[in-house]
Amino acid sequence: MAELNEIIHQPVRLRIMAALMALSPADEVDFNYLRDLLDVTDGNLGAHLRKLEEAGYITVNKLFIERKPRTFISASAKGRRAFKEHVAALESILKSKK
Amino acid sequence: MNITPTEAEEALKAIQVITKKTRRAISSSGAYTFLIVWGVVWLLGFLNSQFLPVEIAGNVWIVLDILGGILSVILGVRISRGVRSFAPPTSGKRIAIFWLLLFFYCFATISIVWPLDTKQMAMFIILFVMVGWIAMGLLLSLASVWWGLSLTALALFGYFLLPGIFYLWMSILGGGGMVTLGLYIRYRW
Repeated sequence: MAELNEIIHQPVRLRIMAALMALSPADEVDFNYLRDLLDVTDGNLGAHLRKLEEAGYITVNKLFIERKPRTFISASAKGRRAFKEHVAALESILKSKK
Repeated sequence: MNITPTEAEEALKAIQVITKKTRRAISSSGAYTFLIVWGVVWLLGFLNSQFLPVEIAGNVWIVLDILGGILSVILGVRISRGVRSFAPPTSGKRIAIFWLLLFFYCFATISIVWPLDTKQMAMFIILFVMVGWIAMGLLLSLASVWWGLSLTALALFGYFLLPGIFYLWMSILGGGGMVTLGLYIRYRW
């Protein structure tokens, strides 16, 4: 049976992972774009991204585009698997209620 | 870690909401904005072809096409700022080359069969654009192939059976259809 994932279950991180999962595995999203999409502050998003990166669930790609620093984020294969397992665990909890 | 079924339900709802929002904002944002822009171009362009003299209508079409092209480039740049793809950069270039070649072939075909009346020319351009649309659909999103085929069928129907109101037909059903499809993707997809 799938297990709940404590790192992913935190509300902001859950939304970050859900947003990244909606992208194609070949895509990565800009930090500012993700911040606006989730309606969180820079600091808040940064802190949660660090947690997810430490767990190996996301890949953070920092680069310069037109001499400006840009940060792009994508879900790693490990993160995608963990998120799917977490969703399966949530669904099984719901099913057990019925 | 233990949570209640209510908490699980709330978490799943939150996932659903953000997935939908992301799909709208990122994954498919390009499709609907381009559809709306070019839908408006067709709507106004064909409307002007129906009611204005040929010389004026031709100039209005040129202005509309230039505006549509500029807006498309701006939108493309804005969208690419948010999401980058690891997919080979050659894909984008090849798609651009495909469209350039398609327009070249369209121009060449029209030149060979010239003289044409304005309706025939419009129909040629529509058919070539639809070939491009369907090719893009086969490459990128199969669902849009059906829309391309439907628009082609509508255009052929209007051309052969409603010649008197062909432009009005294309304006409302072609342009209006593209705008409606764009809005549908934006708000309901």
